Amino acid sequence: MAKLHSKKLFIKALNKKFGKDFDLAGQKVEYKRLGPEQSARKREFMEYAKKLEGKRGMTGYNPYVHAGGIPLGQRQLVPYKLSTTEYVVEGDDLHFVNNPAMQQMWDDIRRTIIVGLDMAHEVLEKRLGKEVTPETINNYLEILNHAMPGAAVVQEHMVETHPGLVDDCNVRVFTGDDNLADEIDDQYLIDINTLFPADQAETIKAAMGKTTWQAIHIPTVVVRSCDGGTTSRWSAMQLGMTFIDAYNMAAGEAAVADLAFAAKHAAVIQMSDMLPARRARGPNNPGGLSFGFMSDMVQTSRIKPQDPAYVSLNVVAAGSMLYDQIWLGSYMSGGVGFTQYATAAYTNDVLDDFSYYGVDYAVDKFGGFAKAKPTLEVAKELATEVTLYGLEQYEAFPTLFEDHFGGSQRAAVLAAASGITSAIATGNSQAGLAAWYLSMLVHKEAHGRLGFFGYDLQDQCGPTNVFSYQSDEGSPLEIRGANYPNYAMNVGHQGEYAGITSAAHAGRMDAFAINPLIKVCFANPYLVFDWGDIRKCFGQGGSREFRAAGERALVMPAL
Amino acid sequence: MAYTPQYYPGSTSVGINRRKHMSGNLEKLRDIPEADIVAIMGHRAPGADYPSTHPPLKEMGEPDCPIRQMVEPTPGAAAGDRVRYNQFADSVYFAPAIPYWRSYWAAINCRGCDPGTLSGRQIIEARERDLEAYTKKQMDSEMTDVALCSMRGCTVHGHSLRLEENGLQFDMLARTELGADGNVHYVKDQVGIPLDKKINVGKPMSEAEAKKRTTIFRFDGVPLSGTVGARKPDEALEATHHMWTLRSMWGFRPE
Repeated sequence: MAKLHSKKLFIKALNKKFGKDFDLAGQKVEYKRLGPEQSARKREFMEYAKKLEGKRGMTGYNPYVHAGGIPLGQRQLVPYKLSTTEYVVEGDDLHFVNNPAMQQMWDDIRRTIIVGLDMAHEVLEKRLGKEVTPETINNYLEILNHAMPGAAVVQEHMVETHPGLVDDCNVRVFTGDDNLADEIDDQYLIDINTLFPADQAETIKAAMGKTTWQAIHIPTVVVRSCDGGTTSRWSAMQLGMTFIDAYNMAAGEAAVADLAFAAKHAAVIQMSDMLPARRARGPNNPGGLSFGFMSDMVQTSRIKPQDPAYVSLNVVAAGSMLYDQIWLGSYMSGGVGFTQYATAAYTNDVLDDFSYYGVDYAVDKFGGFAKAKPTLEVAKELATEVTLYGLEQYEAFPTLFEDHFGGSQRAAVLAAASGITSAIATGNSQAGLAAWYLSMLVHKEAHGRLGFFGYDLQDQCGPTNVFSYQSDEGSPLEIRGANYPNYAMNVGHQGEYAGITSAAHAGRMDAFAINPLIKVCFANPYLVFDWGDIRKCFGQGGSREFRAAGERALVMPAL
Repeated sequence: MAYTPQYYPGSTSVGINRRKHMSGNLEKLRDIPEADIVAIMGHRAPGADYPSTHPPLKEMGEPDCPIRQMVEPTPGAAAGDRVRYNQFADSVYFAPAIPYWRSYWAAINCRGCDPGTLSGRQIIEARERDLEAYTKKQMDSEMTDVALCSMRGCTVHGHSLRLEENGLQFDMLARTELGADGNVHYVKDQVGIPLDKKINVGKPMSEAEAKKRTTIFRFDGVPLSGTVGARKPDEALEATHHMWTLRSMWGFRPE
């Protein structure tokens, strides 16, 4: 039998939540029923609502109107510790409306577009006989970083955007050609060689070849007024104008159409695919974002590659927030409940504890990361052990059970730990997915409950699609996404699937999961959100330490 | 040869209890008056007529239909009753019932019902008079411990929370209370509307009794597979593995 490592990482968080000397293992407690007054944040809400009285001309926030006047707070309203950080925030602070870092994470995705430069350079060189050199590229990038935020080039008497409102906009290039990279002005370069560990840098450059790409991040305020589908249009217009200016072209000569086609279609990588009519969204909206792309956006894999569980857990955090809280929780559903599901996966070190338990077990048994064969037998052993371990922790620590008070929360966390373990152990995302589904079945069998039935349904039929490669249901997990047929409406799954995807590659020490261009694009150190430490950034947002982009205060009267 | 359903594997008390729930072969522990159950359900006043959504089927001139000839309507359907619900929250601290097994019980043993399974609650919808009969069976039988199970139409939060000091499952709306006489009383109906009178539903089970009758696998009761470092798979776990393997292989279909 493999060694067993039970670190009980969640104890510290439970002590912070329930009180330092609290009996975490007691099965009975006196419920003091202190109401919303026990929470600093609820008090703030009530006080602010009073300030709004009269101003709004109608009633508003009042926690005493529901449940016959019995408000929230009949149990202890406990805060949340962002896993592996020292940030402790109220649950309310983790709703994306109250958390500017969460908003910025999503904004950083939807305002991003990757556009190849090589096709445009070929048009300039071969069709127009123009010379393209590092000097002309640097000049182009200087003009582009003037134009992309919304400033005019070429045209006279043109309106422009206030630089203070769009200062987060930037365009940098990255390339697999070290000679070209050396010639690009540092301020315009995402330097693969310095940002990535040497082996990862070599892998990425080999995958890219000597191609050159623009990582374009249009202003946050633009996508907050429009949507992700805007990004390629905004970007392409400014790219076209910049080419005209930088290479002294006629505005409207036929070759401009080639540049525009490249910028809008042929050389473009959207962050996510557009959705079918029944969910009608353009590209660069969360529903079309694949788990592989999400894995590559998160940068923990280059910052802490030696700890694949940590890498995966950061992807889970990013995915849970985006897929559960914003996509399913707001685009597809509405309200506030989805936050509660999602937070379980990135707070209080619970998923961390379960995952490290599993990964340590697997490393002991199989001799390292990605050493086990991706078989059903391996997935079965690991999922069973991790799930039973996690269930035992819930049972042994009633405060932990109480913390993950919904079955969907527990199911997501147990299955995610099982999937992460199996994916890291085998280096195979499908083996991770198989473990996820077995965990769900074992959990349901143990407690006789899982999530809500719509949630459970996906998992009870899920094993059949793990190894299926039929066109409408089978795909490697890397290219499944939020709109995969069986995943399209169930909270508490998609972020974890992204984490499992990441785990397979983190276990193999891969430089990227599916797309090296996405990985490098989000290595840009000048993105507003910190893509290296997702949970810390959420904590900063919840603690009101995070300054998001896209604010309009500059052009409004002061409060 | 007549088929005898096996229902569930395993020789532990949990396996046996799960089979009892599924088969409907449950021990009756108490006899709560029908009027009290109707009051707790809160859909109609005890003694009031059943509201209906359509005339009795016999008066409706039903079409000639082989399905109708084969399936005898339940009393509620025959009378045209509206569809109403009961919903129970069961504590993870050894409540006798668990949501899936409430659903299995209902689906196997109760005609014309629609069970819904969630983690913190389990709902059964049926024609009103049928539902009242099903509810009485649930509340009178070993499926219910009055401290650890309670009828909650909304605000069900409690199944995973620590128990109150007096052993009752937490309820934000405090629909039940433990009387000085040691009996549990409903003081509100299942959606939290105060009742005209307290309804005595009897004494809670002792902890040992609850553990004996529970259907939940727990490490500190009957574990599904031993404990950390000392695994010993129950037959239920082996059956689960078997199903998972077959489902995975069926999806792959290597032929």
